[in-house]
Amino acid sequence: MRTYFRALLLSTCLTVSTACSASLFAQVQTMEKEADLIGVLQNGAPADKAIACKRLAIYGTGESVSELAKLLPDDSLSSWTRIALEAIPGSKPDEALRNAAKSLSGNKLIGVLNSIGVRGDVAAVDLLKSKLQDSDVQVASAAAIALGQIGNEAARKSLTQSLANAPAGARSAIAEACVLCAEKAMNDGKSDIAIAVYDQVRKADVPSQRVIEATRGAILARKEQGVPLLVENLRSPDRGLFRIALATAREMTKGDVDGALSTEIGAASPDRAALVIQALADRNGPGALPAIVKAAASGPKEVRLSALNALARVGNASSVSTLVSVAGEADADLTKGALQALAELPDQNATKEILDRLSKADDKLLPVLLAVVGVRRIEATDLITKALAKKDKATREAALKALGATVPPDRMDVLLTQVLKPSFVEDVEVARSALKTAAVRMPDREACAKQIAASIETSSLETQTALLDILAAVGGTNALQAVKNAALSSSDPLKDVSSKLLGDWMTIDAAPVLLNLATSGPADKYQGRALRGYIRIARQFAMGEPERVAMIQNALMASKQPADQKLILPILEKFSSIEMLKIAIKMAGADDLKEDATKTVLAIAKKLDGKPEVAKLLAEAGIKP
Amino acid sequence: MKKKIDTIKRRSFLKSALASAGAAAVAPTIIPSSAIGRDGAVPPSERVVLGGIGIGNRGNYDLGCFLEQKDVQFIAVCDVKEARRLAVKKIADTKYGNENCSMHQDFREVLDRKDIDAVLIATGPNWHATMSMYAARAGKDIYCEKPCTKNIEQSLILRDTMRRTGRIFQAGTQRRNLPHFAFACYLARTGKLGKLSKIYAHPAGMQAMMSGWLPAEAPPEKGKVDWDMYLGPAAWRPFNPKLLDGFNFEKGGGLVGGGVLEWGSHCVDLCQWAVDDCPPPVEYNAPANGELMARYENGTQLIFREKGWIPLGSCPVRFEGDKGWVEAGDSGKMVLSSPELMAGRVVEEIGGYPATFHVRDFLDAVKTRSQPKGNAEAACNAHIVCHSANIALFLNRQVKLDLKNYEFINDEPANRLRSEALREPWRI
Repeated sequence: MRTYFRALLLSTCLTVSTACSASLFAQVQTMEKEADLIGVLQNGAPADKAIACKRLAIYGTGESVSELAKLLPDDSLSSWTRIALEAIPGSKPDEALRNAAKSLSGNKLIGVLNSIGVRGDVAAVDLLKSKLQDSDVQVASAAAIALGQIGNEAARKSLTQSLANAPAGARSAIAEACVLCAEKAMNDGKSDIAIAVYDQVRKADVPSQRVIEATRGAILARKEQGVPLLVENLRSPDRGLFRIALATAREMTKGDVDGALSTEIGAASPDRAALVIQALADRNGPGALPAIVKAAASGPKEVRLSALNALARVGNASSVSTLVSVAGEADADLTKGALQALAELPDQNATKEILDRLSKADDKLLPVLLAVVGVRRIEATDLITKALAKKDKATREAALKALGATVPPDRMDVLLTQVLKPSFVEDVEVARSALKTAAVRMPDREACAKQIAASIETSSLETQTALLDILAAVGGTNALQAVKNAALSSSDPLKDVSSKLLGDWMTIDAAPVLLNLATSGPADKYQGRALRGYIRIARQFAMGEPERVAMIQNALMASKQPADQKLILPILEKFSSIEMLKIAIKMAGADDLKEDATKTVLAIAKKLDGKPEVAKLLAEAGIKP
Repeated sequence: MKKKIDTIKRRSFLKSALASAGAAAVAPTIIPSSAIGRDGAVPPSERVVLGGIGIGNRGNYDLGCFLEQKDVQFIAVCDVKEARRLAVKKIADTKYGNENCSMHQDFREVLDRKDIDAVLIATGPNWHATMSMYAARAGKDIYCEKPCTKNIEQSLILRDTMRRTGRIFQAGTQRRNLPHFAFACYLARTGKLGKLSKIYAHPAGMQAMMSGWLPAEAPPEKGKVDWDMYLGPAAWRPFNPKLLDGFNFEKGGGLVGGGVLEWGSHCVDLCQWAVDDCPPPVEYNAPANGELMARYENGTQLIFREKGWIPLGSCPVRFEGDKGWVEAGDSGKMVLSSPELMAGRVVEEIGGYPATFHVRDFLDAVKTRSQPKGNAEAACNAHIVCHSANIALFLNRQVKLDLKNYEFINDEPANRLRSEALREPWRI
């Protein structure tokens, strides 16, 4: 019993902590000699024996084997003892397992055969051969798999000889074991043997999944000579064989597989051709591209879409011409696919090719190429700017979007001008959106904000509003100052928009600005909005407790409405502490807040359960927990 | 958890946001257009017919993501608990307006059905690897919740089995299909951060656990709860209700997982993506000062760290190079050492780690036979990292991994923890 508790202690404490598990383990390791563990096997309770088996799996030797073997017929402990017997090195466990296999039956025999296979016990081949004939097909199957795991010549011969005439229930396992043997032969450099075994399984009356596995092996084992068999299966009416051919094509390193797949694109049905293209692209071999480009250019739509998708991964500069052409077609799906491919083409030379085409583009292709420049983020400000003067609105919009995605910091003025003095008034919304896109990606946001803020004063009210919105998206000190100035201005619309923007500001430095707005100037709706923005920051942002407590106290001092004060209560509960509890208790003293604040007090007290100060504070406040 | 994302947002994300996030390795989202019927319905020949196994809380969430997809037809549920079988059948039958969802207590019945293409495996972690292997051998594609394996050997066999069988495997590592995590990994993987020196994962509790044997209690009727099937490949123990639904039950075999595996299968997986899914670190050290440091062959350090994170939500990762750093978490937000790393891109912020995009990635892979983001090889490597770290944690000393055979160098105790026998009759 002592050992049982020790084992339980071990298993329990090992869950506690790293330090605990390490030190306890070292202690137990010293304490638990193998002899002790063997003693447990002899005299312990089942639970003790189970844990002892696990210990012996790590530290046991041949000395433990005879006692472990005695547990193999045990319904409860057979699985535990095999954990040790599979792990202990040397010949004694092998002998024990072989001996047990002679007397056991059913699941326990299957377990032993499984362990023999895992250990790869060559001396067990004759025994396993005899078990192949067992009337229990599960036993025969386990013996077959064990032979496959051993995989020597004797095992292989017994399996291949049994395949044809074995009972149907065992044939699948025998075929699987044959494949294991063939793999071993391949690893040993005996590809002729492997091919023969694979072919035998392919042609045997076995479940289709076994044929699939053998087919893959037969193709790979043939190396460059495997291509015809690959093609044969790509053309198979059997979906399983077609699919394994697709997978195997991706694995093949020898032979003209790219050529074979390229040919199949033209020969296969559109559905299959689309899938062949994906396999060809996944191979990404030197011969893959021409066929994929060709498939993208014309043919059934599903094949073209697959090819466009593939070009995004494997295309290069030579693909640009076709992709630009497809991007200009009327079909929206094809256009989208081509643009996506152009955006993602991995080859940097493709960028040069696209720029060259942009400089020469006619009016039809110009918007397409502008979109490509945008999605690839190619800096081409001068070329793009020229398009802003085009009569076609779609072209101008494409140019503005491209500028938004690509304009560098020192050319921001190009977009700013389009917002302040647009060439075409109807483009101003797109220009603003583009400026925002550009502004938020600028590496020096302070400089960017300064440049934009400088334009506010001289702009129309509508433009000022748009620029403030952009500044809020940029963030930072300069942007904050500009929005603050607008909030303090005498313009009601500007106060409106800027107080909204500050209320949603995403950095903590807006807090003092909001507090200032909430506590200065005439009382109006913007004061309340600023206060709520201030409280939001106290609620949402990471900060130390002293800072949060200070913000809450500031908010309480600034707030005039119970509704605003109630917004503070969830913060107190979320960041429960003694200080928060004290504030909540204080708030509970106000008639307007008593009911809600008392609930908060109790919620905080529950979270702080166990802290002695809590009961004292509640008692002082006359609040019963 | 953010369960609902409107269709437009989802589609726009799939088609543009990830690409604009610079995730160059975005899997294709190609579906033959013939798969889409005139009214947006999907013809039966192009549907992925799905069965669900172990559909509890997490499984229900995953299933919801599948059911949102028009090209999914869910037709069978398997669970060891009758109440769950009934609940899931009700969901499916209500959706389809029929009574066709079949219920099973033994998952092998689902795998035997020839009309099922793929299975969602959301059992307890004890079953994940074993059941995935059975499913692959039965010719099913697999979306499997994490952690996917219980030890190093299972991880390797999972990888090899998926290759051999040609099945599509997607680990439930859905953060690989979220734009801010994808972008952070992209920055690291493509050298935008310079030479990587340290990458950080948050294990949310580093601890090694051993499975226990709790006192026997009266087992429920087998039709209500099939305890034997629930135990499955785990070593036998008597029924005890505390072990049912145990989040940490038997997830690591001989010694187990804790936070390193539970969270590492996500955040270490992202770290692995950041280093381009290269082989796992070769050295794992004992924990010190709340950190466990592993080292890749090229010298980059992978650090399991419990504290010191910018508050960006759960499952944070941080990648540091000599030109910059990035940190991202489950809030959907990331922090960069410089805004210039954005290079003008807009990365959509999707918090709450939804699995919708990951499920879509899986379904597309089922159709194209390309590899999804959480494929078996990626999952294998990430899980080996976690298991190796756990072995260092358990032994409380450094262990060194040989990448040629994924064995520990001259370290028998560590090597004995690489695998563990399964209870009969199950095999991996």
